[in-house]
Amino acid sequence: MRVRKVWLGTMVLATAIVAAACGGGTSSNAADETGTLTVWLMNGSAPSSVIDAVNSDFKAKYPKVTVNVEIQQWGDVGTKLDTGFAGSNPPDVMELGNTLVAKYAAAGALANISGKKSSFDNSGTWLQSLTDSCTVGGKLYCVPYYAGSRAIIYRKDFFESAGVQPPDSLDGLLTVGQKLMTAHSSDPNFSALYFPGKYWYAALPFIWDSGGDIATESGGKWQGSLSSSSSQQGLTTLSKLVSSLSKADKTGDEAKQDAAFAQGHIAMIIANGWEVGVITDPKAGDPKLADKLGAFPIPSSKAGQTAPVFLGGSDLGVAQKSKHQNLANAWVALLTGNKHMSEMATVGGVIPNNTSMLSLGTGLNAVFYGAAKNSKFVPNSQNWASVENANVLPDMLVKIFTKQMAIPDATKAASDKITSLLNGSS
Amino acid sequence: MGVAIAAPELEPAPRRHWRHRVDLLPYALIAPSVAAIAGILAFPLGMLVWLSLQNYGLRELIAHEGKWVGLDNYRTILTDPLFHQVVIRTLLFTLTCVALTLVLSTLISLLLLRVRQAIRVLVASALIFVWATPVIVTVDVWQWMFDYEFGVINYLLTQLHVGNYIHHNWFDNPVQGLGVIALIVVWGAIPFVTITLFAGLLQVPGDIIDAARVDGANAWQAFWHVTVPILKPIFLIVTCLSTIWDFGVFNQIYVLLNQRPSSDYYTIAIYSYRESFGVTKYGLGATIAVIMVLILVAVTFFYVKETLKVAEVKTEAAT
Repeated sequence: MRVRKVWLGTMVLATAIVAAACGGGTSSNAADETGTLTVWLMNGSAPSSVIDAVNSDFKAKYPKVTVNVEIQQWGDVGTKLDTGFAGSNPPDVMELGNTLVAKYAAAGALANISGKKSSFDNSGTWLQSLTDSCTVGGKLYCVPYYAGSRAIIYRKDFFESAGVQPPDSLDGLLTVGQKLMTAHSSDPNFSALYFPGKYWYAALPFIWDSGGDIATESGGKWQGSLSSSSSQQGLTTLSKLVSSLSKADKTGDEAKQDAAFAQGHIAMIIANGWEVGVITDPKAGDPKLADKLGAFPIPSSKAGQTAPVFLGGSDLGVAQKSKHQNLANAWVALLTGNKHMSEMATVGGVIPNNTSMLSLGTGLNAVFYGAAKNSKFVPNSQNWASVENANVLPDMLVKIFTKQMAIPDATKAASDKITSLLNGSS
Repeated sequence: MGVAIAAPELEPAPRRHWRHRVDLLPYALIAPSVAAIAGILAFPLGMLVWLSLQNYGLRELIAHEGKWVGLDNYRTILTDPLFHQVVIRTLLFTLTCVALTLVLSTLISLLLLRVRQAIRVLVASALIFVWATPVIVTVDVWQWMFDYEFGVINYLLTQLHVGNYIHHNWFDNPVQGLGVIALIVVWGAIPFVTITLFAGLLQVPGDIIDAARVDGANAWQAFWHVTVPILKPIFLIVTCLSTIWDFGVFNQIYVLLNQRPSSDYYTIAIYSYRESFGVTKYGLGATIAVIMVLILVAVTFFYVKETLKVAEVKTEAAT
């Protein structure tokens, strides 16, 4: 009998889940007819105050249109976007990580907005690398949204008590880190530089700084280059830093690093500017840390220079199958317009989508804005998303940090995989 | 099933002119179920096979039109060394999980027979709780317990002086990591199997056991030569179901490893998902799924055959 009840409960639960899942779908179906615009933004991209302000400005212009902003998680975004775009009623506006646009544009998922470029504020001074990420075959498929580049966030009080200064070279980073480790040797949880194993965005500066790269293109063919001696050298440096300075999970990702930093057992993390807000958030972090935080760029192996960082960021695309392309473009124009873009920079702490607003970066933010000037990008190929979704780089880093594979073997395997994925047909 | 098939033969032979109508009746009765099964299972399975014969990437997904490639996907996947590893890993993982589940469940259900009613209710309720909690929720709780920095398992093992488990990473080493995953899968599978076996044990007549004991059988002999043969049909069905469930394990691995399992943790289900949704090769993903179904059919064929044999024996005994 009990068994039966549980079965019954399971069935009811399953039915409820299916019903709930279908509910979302039908509401967007019906919504299209009554003029509803569905917008997918990524978790953590725009503060809710900015989204509310954009929506109320939009409402003033289009009082009969309802806007549904749905927040998506980064963790499984590829699956979400694939299925979203494949439906006959896809979301009208989608935020896409700048490394993903090429794939969706090439597959015909995004509307070509080349003709409307001038209708967006600051389109003449958009950040070049974001504009490049939106451009496929000479046509514009999205609007640059914001950028992010990483630097090192550190605890000024820890540095002071250990008697060290922010380093200006990679060797210096190791020395400073070792001094911090010694000063905190009584704390078994202490990390001078907290580096989770799968944090590939933060590993790229080390590869690039030593002259390496992910892949190089010649004559339309890609060739993975993580196994080149320069790439290996960068990874050797990083691996040494990780093994001597980090107690972070060697198989974990960076999702928890701000919460971990706020716990007070970490001196440095490699992070985006907006993460300062998470660290000092009253719920997620510790507001008392606000005036103890400092930032400096990731140093180069050449003293006095900085390492090139990965320029992350997001773009806003309009679905080719959207039935409200004009409304969608109007909404995107508001969010990326002067008024709300400057809020994104000042409230959201991200790097705005255009060079005209770079002066908005003050205080700690200035460090991150500065880092963006010496930045690089992943291979601009429609197949890059497959490399990301196949976890090639995180897997390689985990193998190296956990010493399951030696650097030459791990990089060779990853490099071969990247060559084959980038040259793949679909 | 055996009973239903054998039923018409029990009809008295002389009523020949009725025979034709009587023969159609079972088919008419089974038709609705066959139609439902065809709709629910055969159609999606057919679509899957059809998809596996196409080159179906993101462009095709958005255009809703694939390119026919015949058996190319099968050739690709069957010559992929990673796929070979994945198949072997999945088979070993399934074998371990099913064996552990059955042994532990049998022991617990035997224990349930011996304890007082109050304890029995307590244990049964605990089992039902385990079973009733959604997998995603339990895996999340397990993930925290095995957490590298904040996990209670590391804390307890260190406090109990088992060793220094501060900052022990359970998923560094894939063998150990898969061990943890197997533990969670088995933990989740025990309730159903235990309760089913317990229900079966209640059907074993006490006097047969007593008779065996009087004849000089020890506890193990009584269990092996009396209880097990009586419970054979139940053992077969739970083994078969466990094999199917454990072979397709997905949630535990996927959630536990933050949706980004490394290739050392790929089972066939995860690999199929990765190829489909990760690298948007839906055709190839479907191919893996078809092969998975075929392997499962091959593996479970034995159990189904045995079950039918048991059913036949019972039917013969009844006639």
